[in-house]
Amino acid sequence: MSKKVTKIELLVVAVAHTINDGDKVVLGVGAPMLAGALAKALHAPNAVLMMESGMVDFEPLLPPRHVADVMCLKGFPYSTDLFNTFTTITYRGYVDKTILGVGQVDKYGNVNTSFMGGGPTTGMRLTGAGGAPDFMSYAKETILCLKGGKFVEELDYHTSPGYLGGGDERDRSGLFPQGSGPSMLISPDGIFRFDPETKEMYLESVIPGVTVEEVKARVPWDLKTLDPLKEYPVPKKEETDFLRSFAPYASFPNSIMMELAMQHYTQEEQRKAG
Amino acid sequence: MTDNTINKVMTLKEAVSRFVHDGDELVVGNYTVATPFNQIMEVVRQEKKNLTVYTQSGVFDVEMLIAGECVDRIVTTYNIRSGGRGGGSMCERYQTAGKIQVEDYSNFTYNARLTAGALGYSFMPVLPGIMATDVFKVRDFMGESKFGVVECPFTGKDIPVVPAANPDVCIVHVHRADKYGNAQYWGAKGSVAWACLASKNIIVSCEELVDTEIINASPEYTILPSFRVNAVVEESFGAHPAELVGYYNMDQLFYIEMDVANASDTGLRKWMDEWVYPIPDRNTYIERYISKYGLERLKQIKAQTYYSAPVNQGAAFYSNWREDGKSVGLGLTLDEIEKVMEEKGLMIDV
Repeated sequence: MSKKVTKIELLVVAVAHTINDGDKVVLGVGAPMLAGALAKALHAPNAVLMMESGMVDFEPLLPPRHVADVMCLKGFPYSTDLFNTFTTITYRGYVDKTILGVGQVDKYGNVNTSFMGGGPTTGMRLTGAGGAPDFMSYAKETILCLKGGKFVEELDYHTSPGYLGGGDERDRSGLFPQGSGPSMLISPDGIFRFDPETKEMYLESVIPGVTVEEVKARVPWDLKTLDPLKEYPVPKKEETDFLRSFAPYASFPNSIMMELAMQHYTQEEQRKAG
Repeated sequence: MTDNTINKVMTLKEAVSRFVHDGDELVVGNYTVATPFNQIMEVVRQEKKNLTVYTQSGVFDVEMLIAGECVDRIVTTYNIRSGGRGGGSMCERYQTAGKIQVEDYSNFTYNARLTAGALGYSFMPVLPGIMATDVFKVRDFMGESKFGVVECPFTGKDIPVVPAANPDVCIVHVHRADKYGNAQYWGAKGSVAWACLASKNIIVSCEELVDTEIINASPEYTILPSFRVNAVVEESFGAHPAELVGYYNMDQLFYIEMDVANASDTGLRKWMDEWVYPIPDRNTYIERYISKYGLERLKQIKAQTYYSAPVNQGAAFYSNWREDGKSVGLGLTLDEIEKVMEEKGLMIDV
């Protein structure tokens, strides 16, 4: 690798690789949207990107800040609404993949984006369910992005269904399309997959510089690892180049982002005043 | 005068005072974008109390209503959190203090309640996957009536259902409307039309008040017919600092300031002391904005034009009569047609 990369860039590129040309994909806010844009720009130009606000097959000209960003509304073929995105598209089985962020995740890929450290009246309120439970129920495949979230033994609140209690419980429940569920989870540490039989999450690869022990220390259950581990996919130069020009701030945490924006604003004010 | 020919244009102050009442169920009609911040601020200024607020996705709109002590209960799917783990939200602070109650749905199950209400049904089936989650299992103030389960009479399967919602009033911001209330909205449609149509009363604020002819030329953009609307308020930049496609982008710097303020309990209140309470209307709000930040900053977020292609809504003819006075289908004059009626015995004496 001729160029240094950030952990977030590694994460986004690995997520982008899961999108194939022609896939119909529902994207969550943040890293999933960047991955969708990268895939569409480079290796999957005919991927159909969708968001629950009703924008279907949109072109991300800038990194979308939320699911209804005006900057994604320039020239796209199908404008529907939220109700129909969930029914006519999602429930009817037309979503190949959904890529979603994670607050807490358990070993079977069940997800919490609602409350941490307690329930609704006692815990910390995260942003909430949004569209995640329904997308994770009916997309053929779910890819989870854990950027700042946590692995836990037991979720404080079960927002979105993974493999429930593991094994064939998801399929047996009769509530979901057969064979659906999370296929992988990507964190700034590495890539995780789910055992085809037990549906327990295991470690498939780590990013350069991270040890298996470090990963295990962040996982409360006895994490199984692939032996030998796979190589973490190394981003191509064109991928990091794209990402930096498309989303130059992608690797900054919010705090740095805000600090820089405020700094810029103050300088502008001083320039105007001076 | 009928409810489709009454001029409903009024000030926001009058609209909120007439159509938002203490104890109402109030739905914020917009989803993620075009947030009716103008109306939210007016509701706060008029100190409406004991509201049950429905919102598909709560941002600073819901946070302000809570901080303004307007809210008893919230029905939502999503609420902003400021300042990461160390920060919080008004929603969290008030809920953990026992000062408000919150019922959490998912985007679809929330929307389905409004759709049921809009269609006149008493309940709506939802996607069964939700039954495996705490969204279904954990109940707050709605208790048993948050979700139900019915047996499909045709397949015998268990189907989760949600009760219809028919809020007392919807506050919504749109691109344009005529004075009678025909309201047009485009872009990311979200659940905007369902929220409006489910409600008993509707306050529409719009960027531009336009002639009915403009509305009539593109009826596909109309999300509300005049007879459903109670008040029309023209306020440009009504959604600021949220975005409205075709008009303006989100004001990110302004949002960052709000976000920083909202990370603490006192921060948002202080912010509201500057931007909500002393400000009588949107014009004054924008004047204050310009005097504080300069007109340039507002210009930077103004939308470029990207027009939709016109469509031909024309028909071949709009009269049964050709220029020569003969009918289009039969080639006969009215006299000749009346003669036929006589001859065929179709006429009776009266």
